[in-house]
Amino acid sequence: MQPSRVPPTWVFLLAIVLVAASRTRVRAQRVTNDLRALYTFEAGRGKQVLDRSGNGRPLNLTIEKPSAVRWLKNALQIRAATRISSRGPATKLIDALKRTRAVTVEAWIRPAHARQEGPARIVTISSNARVRNLTLGQELGQYDARLRTSTTTVNGIPSLSTQPGTAGMALAHVVYTRTSSGAAVIYVDGKPSGSRTLSGHLTNWDSRFRLLLGNEGSNDRPWLGTIHLVAIYSRALTAQEVARNHRAGSTAGQRPSAELVMQKRQQFFEKRIAPLLSRHCLDCHDSIAGKGGLDLSRKASAMKGGKSGRVIVAGRSAGSRLWKRVAADEMPRQGKPLSAADKKLLRQWIDDGATWSGDLIDPVVYARGAQGIWVQRLTVDEYIETVRSAVGVDISEPARRLLPQDVRADGFSNTAYNLGVDLKHIEAYAKLAALTVERMNVLKFTARFSRSRKLSTDDTMRQLVEKMGKWLLRGPLEEREVTNYSGIATTVASGGGDFREAASFLIEAMLQSPRFIYRIEYQRGDGSPWPVNDHELATRLSYIIWGGPPDQRLMQAADLGQLGTRERVTAEATRMLTDPRAVSQSARFVTQWLDLDRLANLKPDPGRFSGFDSVLAGDMRRETLAFFNEVAWKQKRPLSELLNAQFTFATPRLARHYGLKPQGPGLRKYDLSSVASRGGLLTQGATLSIGGDDASMVTRGLFILQDFLRGRIKEPPPGVDTTPVPLKAGLSQRVVSEQRLSNVACAGCHRRFETIAFGLEKFDGLGRFQQVDEHGNRLREDGTMLIPGDARPQSFKTSAELMDLLAGNDRVRQTITWKLAQFAVGRPLDAADAGTVRSIHQAAWKAGGRWTDLVTALVSSDLVMMTRTQPDIDKGGKRQRDDDSK
Amino acid sequence: MLRGTGTATIGFPLLEEMISTPAHAAPAAAPVRAFNVFFGLGIPAPLQAEGFDGVLEPLKPLARKLLIMRNVDQVRCDEKGINAHYDGATGAFTAEPPDGEARAGGGSIEQMVRRGHYPQGLPRGMVPTLIGGTFFRRSRVGRYVHSFNPDGTVAATIQEKPRDLFERVFGAVTVAGGGADARRRRLRRSILDSVLEDYRFYTGKRSPLGGLSRRRVADHLDRIREYEQRAFAMKHKKKDSPPLPRRSMIPHGGPADPGGQGIDITLAELSTEWRLMADLYALAIQTDRTRFGSLTFLAAGERIRMTGDYRYGDRKIWKFDDAAQQNAAGDKGCSHEWWHKFNEKRKNEALRAHAHMKMREVAYFLGRLDDAESRDVNGRTILDNSMITISTESGDGRHNDPKRELSGVFHAITGAGGRFKTGEILDVGAEGLDVYNTMLAGMGVTDRMGPENRPMRAVDKIRR
Repeated sequence: MQPSRVPPTWVFLLAIVLVAASRTRVRAQRVTNDLRALYTFEAGRGKQVLDRSGNGRPLNLTIEKPSAVRWLKNALQIRAATRISSRGPATKLIDALKRTRAVTVEAWIRPAHARQEGPARIVTISSNARVRNLTLGQELGQYDARLRTSTTTVNGIPSLSTQPGTAGMALAHVVYTRTSSGAAVIYVDGKPSGSRTLSGHLTNWDSRFRLLLGNEGSNDRPWLGTIHLVAIYSRALTAQEVARNHRAGSTAGQRPSAELVMQKRQQFFEKRIAPLLSRHCLDCHDSIAGKGGLDLSRKASAMKGGKSGRVIVAGRSAGSRLWKRVAADEMPRQGKPLSAADKKLLRQWIDDGATWSGDLIDPVVYARGAQGIWVQRLTVDEYIETVRSAVGVDISEPARRLLPQDVRADGFSNTAYNLGVDLKHIEAYAKLAALTVERMNVLKFTARFSRSRKLSTDDTMRQLVEKMGKWLLRGPLEEREVTNYSGIATTVASGGGDFREAASFLIEAMLQSPRFIYRIEYQRGDGSPWPVNDHELATRLSYIIWGGPPDQRLMQAADLGQLGTRERVTAEATRMLTDPRAVSQSARFVTQWLDLDRLANLKPDPGRFSGFDSVLAGDMRRETLAFFNEVAWKQKRPLSELLNAQFTFATPRLARHYGLKPQGPGLRKYDLSSVASRGGLLTQGATLSIGGDDASMVTRGLFILQDFLRGRIKEPPPGVDTTPVPLKAGLSQRVVSEQRLSNVACAGCHRRFETIAFGLEKFDGLGRFQQVDEHGNRLREDGTMLIPGDARPQSFKTSAELMDLLAGNDRVRQTITWKLAQFAVGRPLDAADAGTVRSIHQAAWKAGGRWTDLVTALVSSDLVMMTRTQPDIDKGGKRQRDDDSK
Repeated sequence: MLRGTGTATIGFPLLEEMISTPAHAAPAAAPVRAFNVFFGLGIPAPLQAEGFDGVLEPLKPLARKLLIMRNVDQVRCDEKGINAHYDGATGAFTAEPPDGEARAGGGSIEQMVRRGHYPQGLPRGMVPTLIGGTFFRRSRVGRYVHSFNPDGTVAATIQEKPRDLFERVFGAVTVAGGGADARRRRLRRSILDSVLEDYRFYTGKRSPLGGLSRRRVADHLDRIREYEQRAFAMKHKKKDSPPLPRRSMIPHGGPADPGGQGIDITLAELSTEWRLMADLYALAIQTDRTRFGSLTFLAAGERIRMTGDYRYGDRKIWKFDDAAQQNAAGDKGCSHEWWHKFNEKRKNEALRAHAHMKMREVAYFLGRLDDAESRDVNGRTILDNSMITISTESGDGRHNDPKRELSGVFHAITGAGGRFKTGEILDVGAEGLDVYNTMLAGMGVTDRMGPENRPMRAVDKIRR
């Protein structure tokens, strides 16, 4: 055996490195999801303890008496009584915890001794020894947690304590968790040491309390010892997560983990760099244009570079051609140079390693800026359904007559920013409320909430207001609301009215309340996404799935705080999707997605389309809705089959219009397996009529691109003549289109969408199939399709092949997911939604891609379970300032 | 009474009552007012250069009360991705490109003035923002709505039928179920008080809503107050009140825009409808029921196939017959196509006639604000005292100036009580944002339009 030539010292050092590396590998990472505040005591000096959670505005703490403490390495020793407190109320914590009804308070501590009592406050959100929201303390040899809920005293009694003898002088990891359903557990060193059920909600929390360490707000419950770490989460960590944080150790929160660093860099890319590249570079350097052989839309091609070689050298902007050209204002060639701020971002990104998240930069994701948060007014459909579900009255006829129609914006008529109100709304809401009450059996309705028929506001009426209000307004009433609405009963009583009259007016008022007309949610926060509370979530679920309010079962789950988990939400969604209301809601989606209401106003040139009238237009609408219903509900097929399913529905008249042999009266199902030209949404009159009388290839191509391929095309450049070219013998739509595509100036954009419409040339402006147009030109149906983001077009010979290509393409499936997501949240999606929608898409299509799969994945995602919040003050934001000006 | 070109003279319920009992105390000075007037499809820059000898002729009688601004670059549209019709129209009074299908890029100038001068809202009983118009193409809101909140959302619902506008301004609302029973009315008012209180909470400091939502609810609250005023505070309609304006005879809503294919309409139908709308809008201002808003005469990229003889004074200007003259049907037979076919070297007779007719109709509305019924307390007319901005979309139909598609867009303003020059046709040569911000400065409004960090370049030449 050959002796080793490696000196013993090297072996030793190598061993140390390996051990260290192995320790690094096995050391657990701390849980970071839903972390709201984190203190790691690294400052080493000074009066400030910094919140390092990175979540929202930092809730930094100030040491009242610096002489009472001693800074240690990564810890703070409290040697004498002092308060370490936030300057103002702990709003970000209070708001977040009130919403989620769940909490974790975690502390790595070493008590000075085991004789402290009071309990001595380690972490507290409170004002004095008698009133609190939350406290973790030490009571002699035990740790003790108090949480105020609607079922405890204002002091958070009964408290939850650890086993006797668990609080000593050793370094300890103490964690208190409470789930939204009331399960409270206290852990010491990763193991449960006490538990209890603590029911109730947190809406009675005082929003004025500060966060304090080491003492009570009233300075009379000091705790002495050393604090290494304090963390507060807006949910209950699981036992596994508590153990993981314990394994991570008392110093694990101090430096960002490699995982966190990578996560932040990916976020930086998604939020800053991808939009920048999309805005400034991809017009020329995407997969299709690829000028200079450079495709900056994909990671691999961007890193590979173009004809002139690599353009990005990760970690070294000075060696990156991309940076040098941009810095010198040589790029972009078209448009303005990058601003100094954008240049700085680009350089920083390259120097930090050019981290790339995902594969493709999809310009459509960045087409719009961040969307504001508008409260959602009920649409006319939702209002009707809400009245029906809430009080059992069908108000549809007068509601459709009296309420102004909701105007379509960004593809859907439930887009919140456009759901304004005018005087007519107010008048209509008042009339409809009165009309609804007239049609109700008021006494029977109120009996659901109170047996009493006494008109006593001090006694039973308040209870009625509280219970009935909770049902009508989709969540518990606050005290001010109970008082406000009870005032109506008082007025009726003082005017000589009776219980029935008072109850009638109460219902009438509630039907006009902001919480009835709008879907009110808690929107204020620190700008980061927060979990919605249970009643908000119940309301979201029901309006997304049913287009109406929660039923009793859903309300009950919300009351019990049981909607906090994805599993439970999934279970509720599964149940709700069996209700007929889910079918109606899906029809609303399709109607808006494909703008089927447009058919009612279709007026083709009677000289060319003499057989057309509103009845045929209505048949087209019914065809598409019945077709969707068959795919989504009866056959429960993946929604991609909407593109190529081999059947349709037609009345005899529509069948003749399509050239099919009528099979009987009414709307009937037609098997299209032997009809090569038809099959799928895009071969139906409802969509084929989108191109106008001349079946414009530009309009049809844009429709498919935008509504089925989630593509985006900018408007034509200035100076381009967009006048349609008249057709004549020898000049078919196809020929005109090919002439346009042969023009380099037009082709750059038009080849991205127009060639798809080649496959539809044989369908005229109303969807009739023909081989020759009215000028005698023979028509074709072969063409190519460019999927956004793909460089290579796919060929098809027939429209049927085109439909199969579309049905099999993930971009189409993605578009369906995106459209449904937009419809669900009532606003256009933006870049911040992209990751979540991607996850929804993957989960939904992995599960089968059916309507039910999509809806379930959607409602159990962060898009629905979390909400965006808006900071109260945004000094730099003009829009926010405007908002607050009123 | 309305003049209207319709055969019937139309009167109003509540009108006499309103004039004698205005919604607020009589002002000591003319109130601050601002309105936007939009007309569709614009005027090509070369035709503007002809001054009052060309298509601007109908504005000549009002020339000394207007400042006609040429060479204003409405929205920076020298980049790809701008639609001259839609983007240009949405930016007509915001000077910024839109931010979505139904949102502008910022507030419109008259709303900026409204917020600057009435931060706490307008006096009770007034319509805070009145938006009206005679238009047909409606694919995107910015084509026909021209009043926007600073967040870009529409400032009020547009009234597109004269009768709707009448009811919006002058109508008394009915209280359901109240009847004549005073007790029931009192109780119903109590309901409204409770509802009002609830809305008030959601606009206040303790509201759970963010800024945008709070403002949406605040709008709702304002409408409830207005409803309350009309439902409970106004006197009852007089028995001998004249009838409501007749129902509109031309298409509205979805039927007005059949899939972008355009509609057939006669000049008489269009003009009658518009003038009734203009009369009603003017009356709303004269009776001080509104001080801010916008009025649209034909949408951006409007598609109509018009027929009828067009006369101006004693002259026959043109015989409209768009479809036949273009030998086309559907969208290709619409007057819109004349703009696409504009060629400076040709006569462009049809386009000239359409543009001339539009100026005639705009002048009709402005004239209504300058007549004897429009005298303010300072002895000058509403036209003199108000800030009225007249603008449009691209007038050049994409063929004139490829570099600056929306350069040279027609703009005109009134003097706003002597704040701005009038009686001139001025080559301004400035960005729309600078012009509008100069106007805001002239109106004593401190807020500015456009990006916050954009340096303002004052256009002093428009100020007196």
